[in-house]
Amino acid sequence: MSAIDRGNLGFVQDDNTLETPGKRATLVLNMKSFGEVTHQVARVSEARKAPLAWYVAFVVSLGLCGFLGVCVTYLIFAGVGVWNLNNPVMWAFDITNFVFWVGIGHAGTLISAILFLFRQKWRTGINRFAEAMTIFAVICAGLFPGIHVGRVWLAYWLFPIPNSMELWPQFRSPLLWDVFAVGTYFTVSLVFWYVGLIPDLATLRDRAKGTIRQLGYGLFALGWRGSNRHWHRYEVAYLLLAALATPLVLSVHSVVSFDFAVSQLPGWHTTIFPPYFVAGAIFSGFAMVVTLAVPARQLFGLKDLITIRHLDNMNKIILVTGCMVGYAYSMEFFIAWYSAALYEKFAFVNRAFGQYWWAYAFMVSCNVITPQLFWFKALRTSIPAMFVLSLVVNVGMWFERFVIIVSSLANDFLPSSWGDYAPTWVEIGTMIGSFGLFGVLFLLFCRFLPMIAIAEVKATMPQGNPHWEGYGHGAGHAGAGAGGGHVSHAHSSGAGPTSIAGSALASPSPEAPLSPGGPNS
Amino acid sequence: MPPLNDRDIASSQSACGAPETSPAPASQHGQQQQPTRSWWRSIEEKSPTPEMLEQLGREFPEGADQLPDGEDRRTFIKLMGASMALAGIGVSGCRRWPESKIVPYAVRPSDRVPGKPVIYATATEYAGVGIGLLATSFDGRPIKLDGNGDTWMGRGVGTISQSRIIELYNPERSITALHKGAPSDDAAFTAWARERFDALKTRGGEGLAFLTEAFSGPSWADMKARLSKALPKATWTTWEPLSNDAALTGLATALGGARRLIPDYSLADVVVSFDDDFLNASPLSPRFTRDFAKTRRVKSKEAKTASLSRLYSFESTLSVTGMFADERFAVRTSTLPAVVATIAMDLKLFDGTPALATALAKLAAMFDAGKLDAGRQEALKRLVEDLRTSRGRGIITAGANQPPAVHALCAAMNDALGNTGATVRYVPALETPSLPAMRSLVEALNAGKVDTLMIIGGNPIYTAPVDLDFGAAMAKAANVIHHALEVNETSRHAACTWHLPAAHFLECWGDVRAWDHSVSIQQPLIYPLVPDAQNARSPIEVLALVAGGEVPLDGAAIVRRTHLADRTGAEAEAAWRRQLDRGVVPNSAVELESRPAVKLAAVASSLESCAVCIGSATAGMELVFFNDMKVFDGRFGSIGWLQELPDPVTKITWDNAALISPVTAKRFDLKKGDLVRLAAGGRFVEAAIWPVPGHADDSVSIALGYGRTDCGSSIAQGAGFNAYSIRSSNGMWVVADAGITRTGARYDLAHTQDHGVSEAIIPAVPHHGIQDRLPTLVRQGTLTEFREHPDFAKHRTHVTHRLSLWEESNLDGAAHRWAMSIDLGTCTGCSACVIACQAENNIPIVGKDQVARGRELHWIRIDRYFKGADMERPEGFAIAPVTCMQCENAPCEQVCPVAATVHDEEGLNNMVYNRCIGTRYCSNNCPYKVRRFNFFDYQRRVPVREQEGFMAVKPEYFVETGPELRLRMQFNPEVTVRMRGVMEKCTFCVQRIQAAKITAKNAWAKKGGLASGTSGYTIPDGMITTACQDACPAEAIIFGDLSDSKSRVSALHADDRSYQMLEELNTKTRVKYMARITNPVAEPSHGGGHHASAPANAGNEASPHTPEAPAKGGAA
Repeated sequence: MSAIDRGNLGFVQDDNTLETPGKRATLVLNMKSFGEVTHQVARVSEARKAPLAWYVAFVVSLGLCGFLGVCVTYLIFAGVGVWNLNNPVMWAFDITNFVFWVGIGHAGTLISAILFLFRQKWRTGINRFAEAMTIFAVICAGLFPGIHVGRVWLAYWLFPIPNSMELWPQFRSPLLWDVFAVGTYFTVSLVFWYVGLIPDLATLRDRAKGTIRQLGYGLFALGWRGSNRHWHRYEVAYLLLAALATPLVLSVHSVVSFDFAVSQLPGWHTTIFPPYFVAGAIFSGFAMVVTLAVPARQLFGLKDLITIRHLDNMNKIILVTGCMVGYAYSMEFFIAWYSAALYEKFAFVNRAFGQYWWAYAFMVSCNVITPQLFWFKALRTSIPAMFVLSLVVNVGMWFERFVIIVSSLANDFLPSSWGDYAPTWVEIGTMIGSFGLFGVLFLLFCRFLPMIAIAEVKATMPQGNPHWEGYGHGAGHAGAGAGGGHVSHAHSSGAGPTSIAGSALASPSPEAPLSPGGPNS
Repeated sequence: MPPLNDRDIASSQSACGAPETSPAPASQHGQQQQPTRSWWRSIEEKSPTPEMLEQLGREFPEGADQLPDGEDRRTFIKLMGASMALAGIGVSGCRRWPESKIVPYAVRPSDRVPGKPVIYATATEYAGVGIGLLATSFDGRPIKLDGNGDTWMGRGVGTISQSRIIELYNPERSITALHKGAPSDDAAFTAWARERFDALKTRGGEGLAFLTEAFSGPSWADMKARLSKALPKATWTTWEPLSNDAALTGLATALGGARRLIPDYSLADVVVSFDDDFLNASPLSPRFTRDFAKTRRVKSKEAKTASLSRLYSFESTLSVTGMFADERFAVRTSTLPAVVATIAMDLKLFDGTPALATALAKLAAMFDAGKLDAGRQEALKRLVEDLRTSRGRGIITAGANQPPAVHALCAAMNDALGNTGATVRYVPALETPSLPAMRSLVEALNAGKVDTLMIIGGNPIYTAPVDLDFGAAMAKAANVIHHALEVNETSRHAACTWHLPAAHFLECWGDVRAWDHSVSIQQPLIYPLVPDAQNARSPIEVLALVAGGEVPLDGAAIVRRTHLADRTGAEAEAAWRRQLDRGVVPNSAVELESRPAVKLAAVASSLESCAVCIGSATAGMELVFFNDMKVFDGRFGSIGWLQELPDPVTKITWDNAALISPVTAKRFDLKKGDLVRLAAGGRFVEAAIWPVPGHADDSVSIALGYGRTDCGSSIAQGAGFNAYSIRSSNGMWVVADAGITRTGARYDLAHTQDHGVSEAIIPAVPHHGIQDRLPTLVRQGTLTEFREHPDFAKHRTHVTHRLSLWEESNLDGAAHRWAMSIDLGTCTGCSACVIACQAENNIPIVGKDQVARGRELHWIRIDRYFKGADMERPEGFAIAPVTCMQCENAPCEQVCPVAATVHDEEGLNNMVYNRCIGTRYCSNNCPYKVRRFNFFDYQRRVPVREQEGFMAVKPEYFVETGPELRLRMQFNPEVTVRMRGVMEKCTFCVQRIQAAKITAKNAWAKKGGLASGTSGYTIPDGMITTACQDACPAEAIIFGDLSDSKSRVSALHADDRSYQMLEELNTKTRVKYMARITNPVAEPSHGGGHHASAPANAGNEASPHTPEAPAKGGAA
């Protein structure tokens, strides 16, 4: 009997963004078999040559990354003076970039940890590379506090390293909290990401043809065999790490916002900053995921796995967080007015109408007005529209940090010490170069690691449902593939969805026969 | 393998490290030792083989001192020594410290403790005004100059005199004689000169002309007299481009003889200044400031009866005096004579002298007081009334740019008002008018009457009136000798035969006369930093050289001869020593003339001609030249400290600018930094425009002394615009009908204030932002307000709660609680404190480019604000020196991640440079923005005007060579030199605190410590002074210990006038300001300019304890 309404499986519909009450939308299109999914993801790293666009992007990124090296070397040799910082604007591009990149780093862990805990299955299509994006963004972020200090060679004094001078960092300083917050976040995100990678690394290992690949992936696969015990441990570890990472998503940007909120500078000294920064971080992080996912799915042929529905969902989050950010902007003004504090009032009026009015106007248009376009489903599901809008949001969120940092510093308490700021080529170069660094890391990831969590995606597929009864018997299901037999086998063995995914690891695919020495061989 | 051939067993046992004197082959040693042995160590020794003998000769077992590759240890060390020595030659710069020769004392002079500073009294002069100084010397290096309180000038000596320490170490000062531009030496010059001067002597000096700066000292006068006797036909010209010829002529007219005006501002109730920036621009300003400050102090306890002098200022260019004035009138300089005449008319002083009255009426008719706004009209009326009622307690003074008639009239008015003899006195003038002298010299030169021109000091090619064409005239002299501290335009002129390096005043003997003729001896502190072969001379030594033979050539001998005459013996010697020690020659001042008779008829005729000459000048655009408070006439242009000092009014550094009123700027459509062409008398100069609120309309003013084109100083070169190039002898100070045209080009001026406002989309937002907070930041009140509410300053802001994130400590139990009080009532903004701090604390200059980027490093700055809703016509000015407030609850400390800025128990907010990694968070969190960051290694760079090269770093940055190292001789060894990447800030001169504590502790311990019955050492109040305090001529800065309840600072902090800047932030500052009390003629009205009048309104309307004053005032 056919308990499943096949019409709802999504095989026949390209548009999985429609909501049918009581029915779940399909997250993998075109009736893929487990083997096809495996192949689709794994072939990216197995192909002898990457797409031409990858090479172009990589050369450009590498060039920018090299320029970052030039800028940083120049900075270290000549001094912080090569940036246009001054008294009073002692921080500008450096900390703007830091906060920007940390913010970008938010989406990954949010998608992988919080959405995991909330059982949002659509996360599986995007979580892997969102997490990778997090790791790389945090690396980029970490660069800036390191190089922005006046005496770079002593930056390690920020860490609580036992030393003969018995000198410790100053624990009241938010910069020190940053060190802990970002450090913890990076570590946990990295571990979380890596743990999630293990089953897929084993898949790649198993499919690998060359010795180097076998050894390389084999080393990092930590001897994964896909046994029930492995899966069990893995599931528990993953859940615990998700639970551990979840508060970090909230804490890290809260702590970063303390850099500002704890100071007493008008425009920084605001209690709204922690939630506002977290919302902004998620906002910019999701925008960045969209920015990266759109070309990646196109380039590597992953449209069936990162579907319009995934993107649509992310755009909805961008809309929500964009509204939260907009609310925060207006609330800042309200509180400034309501406080009747002279300097506070001035800081915000000046932000909008003073010397950095253009940055403020740019920020509001990008972050508050632009996301409103996502109320329209047509735009939410349009690839060109979302790509442009996500870029706009990214730029806008960079400007938000710039506005907060520079406009507050430039016009503070004593008008005699007011200043102005414009970047030098070194600052601009360092900022662009950090995108190069990010690009290099991200492109290498795309090329050599599974961009999509293969095992997890399979769990969301219809075949992953223990009660699924195969591709059915009727005609019209041209897509019915070779995987069916395996699945029914798994079903009969009574294992849960994860077992199914696990067994799928071993499922031979027509294009890539099971390599010798595979787990089930 | 070379044998161990230069050391035997015996010498190896001798004292380690003793030099070997007689190297000898090892074989000899062996032979020498062997026969004397009666005991042996082994069979082998008994029957020696050569190998055995060699082994015995060894200090160490075989192989132990040899390198595996065959070199023994000794050879290795030799080679290493040689290579290290060579390395020392090659990379001698790769060290942190400059190379120096240390010659220890064989016998230490008594009282000389190495590392302990010694203070000597010495003196300097410029423009003929002697200034007594105290020079601090560290191990033979003079490092700081302060005023000598025993001299006429007093303790604070202003910015220029303090900065002249840098002149001494200037890496670019002249150290080589130049003969026709080519390097030469003193021997060549002396040989040349001897022949020339001997020939001149036979002609009685005919054809010899001296052109000198003004030298005031008796030794100079003595030498000149002797030389005049020997060379009677030689001519003498004194040229001072900023000489106050008008005052000399005017006073001579009115009083019948050349006089100097000596006003006593400390006695004045009313001061009227007609374009006289007596508080800043003249060399006498520090003394005037100190005197005037005495009339501006009020005590809150006696508020009911408090009185204050009132300063009226009439000026075209906004000056320090004008900003300080209670009532200021922005009046064109050309119109001012008519204003003075109007006031004289209104005073009705000269009605008995019809000629004078007529002349006044004629002149006064050129000024229409009706055109002034109501407030100014009222003020003008009150001015007349004040002068009349304050007979004998007023001072009327006029500036150098006013015609002689105005000076004469002011003298007559002072006399008629009874001020002369009371607040105004005179002494005979020593100087003569410069311009006529220069004119006749040029005539003589052009007539071919001068064969040898001896220029001692100065730079006439640059400073002489342009119409006299001094260059062409000078070229007519066969020989021109130029003696100066620096190579300048005159030394570089093609006609200059010889340039001779001069000795700096700290390098040679001399003497000077202060304004009241009192004499100070100029003692040298250091051997000239000029090669011996060049023989840097002092001016008197140059005269001695010209005189030749019979007089001593040595400056010391000349000065001794002048002062001791023929007195000899122990008593004379002791007196001489006392003079040197004290720095002033007793009873050398002349007696002040009480009341010289005024020749009203002469004044009348002088005014008559003045009325004719200014007739047309009362309309149209005028151009005013003024003397710069930094470079003076240009001679101090090579002093980087001065170039980088922000002008107190414009806050411009490294340049001058064409100052103009915003209204006039708008009329000509000119913006800040627009390059314009200023034309006067057919000549023109390009200059950048800088609108100054408060400047008179239809007037443009430019400071002299900038725009050097061919001087030897990279610091002066290219700074600003050369106003001398349009300054002609008939328009030395004011030019009527000046032209001003746009060139379309722009010029970047580096300024330290007023950033961050110009780009606002709504300009009123930052402007109102400033005006709203000004009443709380720089608190001012009128005298009336103060009398009613002495504590008005406490109520300018509303502090309801003070919550802290952290547990606070107010350090109550501390032995000392260092604190400072800054009196805004007396601070004029002269900026002497800025330079003093720079000198004391090794603060480098950063260069124009870096200042433009907002990176100046001054630890103390002077904030200057314009008050009032109208951005173009300020209603007042606010001045506040701002330095580290040493907050007890310091925001900077809480955010430093590495604990590099920490509090000590005495309340100092210390900066630990070693610990600082430069996150700059402290600066971001400092509400006063007084922290300064070393963006580069400014001490190692010589950044002057532009950031140079791709790396923005000169090679010297890495390899330390070159004469720039000489600048480091000025460093105060008690203060760390900060490297790049660290934050720095005011320390309250912690090195002075520590020195005083050590002295006090030692004294206490010497007395027996605890056994003496005292619980601890005590530091008497006033024993510790900060550098800024020492320099402050107004004595506005007081430092001390709050734990000492009797200290001055305790009293000042307890005063009702005291307040903390930004106290609502709960920073609990240790620096407190004393609110300024002004004495305007009328209370600010409620209608006009609500922002400026806000504080007054608030104070008047609200009872002293209603705390919503600022908000109410702001919204009024």
